[in-house]
Amino acid sequence: MYGTTGKILRVNLTNGAIETETLTEEFYRLYPGGKALAGYILLNELPPHTDPFSPENVLVIANGLLTGAPVSTATRYIVSARSPLTGGYGESEAGGFWGPELKMAGWEAIVVKGKAPKPVYLWVNGDQAEIRPAEHLWGQMTADVQEDIRLELGDDKIRVLQTGIAGENRVRFAGLTNDLRHFNGRNGLGAVMGSKNLRAMAVRGTQRYQSLAYDAKTLMSIGGKLAKSVKENPLSWDLQQRGTPGLVEPLNTGGILPTRNFRQGAFEKMEDVKWEAYEKQILTARRSCYACAVRCKREVAVYGQPSPYGGPEYETVGAFGPNCGVNDLQAIARAGELCNAYMLDSISCGGTIAFAMECFEHGLIGLDDTGGIDLRFGNAEAMLRMIELIARREGIGNLLAEGSKRAAEKIGGDAHFFAMQVKGQELAMHEPRGKYNVGMGYAISEIGADHLVVAHDSAFANPDSIQFKSARGLGIEKALPPRSLGDEKMELFYILEKWGSLEKVVGYCFFGPAPRSFIPVEDVLASINAATGWTLSMQDALRIGERATNMARIFNLREGFSRKDDTLPERLFQGLENGALQGNALPRDEFEASLTSLYRIKGWHPESGVPTRERLEGLSLGWALEMIAPGTK
Amino acid sequence: MKLYTGGYLTFYMPERKHSIDIQLNAPTPLRDILAQVGIPLNEVALTAINGEQVELDTVLVKDGDVVRVFSSVDGG
Repeated sequence: MYGTTGKILRVNLTNGAIETETLTEEFYRLYPGGKALAGYILLNELPPHTDPFSPENVLVIANGLLTGAPVSTATRYIVSARSPLTGGYGESEAGGFWGPELKMAGWEAIVVKGKAPKPVYLWVNGDQAEIRPAEHLWGQMTADVQEDIRLELGDDKIRVLQTGIAGENRVRFAGLTNDLRHFNGRNGLGAVMGSKNLRAMAVRGTQRYQSLAYDAKTLMSIGGKLAKSVKENPLSWDLQQRGTPGLVEPLNTGGILPTRNFRQGAFEKMEDVKWEAYEKQILTARRSCYACAVRCKREVAVYGQPSPYGGPEYETVGAFGPNCGVNDLQAIARAGELCNAYMLDSISCGGTIAFAMECFEHGLIGLDDTGGIDLRFGNAEAMLRMIELIARREGIGNLLAEGSKRAAEKIGGDAHFFAMQVKGQELAMHEPRGKYNVGMGYAISEIGADHLVVAHDSAFANPDSIQFKSARGLGIEKALPPRSLGDEKMELFYILEKWGSLEKVVGYCFFGPAPRSFIPVEDVLASINAATGWTLSMQDALRIGERATNMARIFNLREGFSRKDDTLPERLFQGLENGALQGNALPRDEFEASLTSLYRIKGWHPESGVPTRERLEGLSLGWALEMIAPGTK
Repeated sequence: MKLYTGGYLTFYMPERKHSIDIQLNAPTPLRDILAQVGIPLNEVALTAINGEQVELDTVLVKDGDVVRVFSSVDGG
């Protein structure tokens, strides 16, 4: 086997057992890494209806097969478990340095079961692993924990993946961070870590990926060519120059910048939070993930002090800026810092605070509930206070730490209308009323509302644009307007979803491959084949992505999810209050009809959304049939 | 007029500047201005003049206008 270390580290925190599992070639070909590997393990080892906070929940951290390869953007790893936020298949990916380091240490994945009697951290030093006490780390900010672990182990090159105080306190949208700058934010998987009394996983490795590759020379040649192309490709050049905060102004102009809890699509104080303000007020440097020439990460100073955490991405600027009605960029950057120090998902945290602000303005919660905090849109100080209350589960923070869906159920009245969430997870900062496939992605995603399910609609509007032309290798032939649905649009969705899922299996970042970015789809395929020695066609590769998506679907069906969960917040079927798309709403009937079409195209029963026997067997997933339809196997 | 760019359109600007000033003697089709600057029209996804979104194909620009053009943007 090539391109893989072939080994999984298995850790049982209840009894302290540490074991090594060796993968077979047959298994590797079907479930080569990341989302596919995690999905398989969860389906086969996690009993249905397991309490996400019980010791029986299974936490999987899985590298992509290319993670750590000398190819820009191949840095990603998946964290997975049953999500405490959605109750379904939980998944969150991140880049940085930790995944490549785990690969260099000789491991594809870590599977954690059980619960430690006292706080611990895991120390993986090459092929050796050890569970170490972490009571002295418990209750500490993430920057302090990383520093303490490196000092304790005497090596400042150790890579630390950890949750934070929010994870310890089981905030349902607590995440994980590595190197303090890269986040597995979504789905509350940091809270699963906290529930296991596992604060961190420190890793040190010395291998090189090239020693694992079938054809290292070709792989390095592809990587070298791509690194040189970063500055010559408009898409990657823009990511390097501005990074994701560059999205604020164009989205605002298009009327699709989520503002005041998605009531509006344009922010009247956008000038204060757009990229030029970011560059002038807080930017100090640009950084990259492992071996990535794009360098889209930002370093910042907050209130004049260099931050030990990375600068806010667009999602953070959007969530704590326009969506909370806040135009104070320093406060927004501080909100990002607090999320990173306590380890909260900035999207869900900002979304939940925006929800609370709207409840406050409608009198559903009052000063008695907030402890005297005037929680109106635009009150930056109140917003910052809320983050700390949530992370520590103090006061109203204890309610909001449950996420907007559960909080709305407890508040009652019309509060549910203000909870902008799908399957319990808050919407990312992308407005579906201007990009209908983004809305379909929010609705159908197995992890709840997520913006990285498919490349966004706007890339496929003009057949002569570089993005559209770069997607032709995937079999995409027809340009379609962003605000459209229907069978052809769902065919486009289907292809893009498989492609996005493949990226999560092999370890590529959303900002690497075309059509979103600069890596030609043919080079993605060539890099997989050079690493593994396989001769995959594009259709073979897309099938790997589709297999992973179907396993996640089966996980959710087994937990009781159904078509009624593939929906969107009511507000999105009503008109935007302002901006270039003022009055525009998602067409409800057309949306439902397109969902039926998409199910059919995906080989799922068109009404129920349950994968058919034919499709599952075609994807070599016949073994999973009994999980969704007992007795039909 | 002042021409601002966002998304990956800045890549095509002279010296890759974010914005430039252009002297106009008469109202001029925006398409002609962008072509002269070197911005491929196929890559323009959004256009706004003086804060209002407009259609690239039909709009005339006059001196003193503030024009913003953007590529498709997504993700992140």
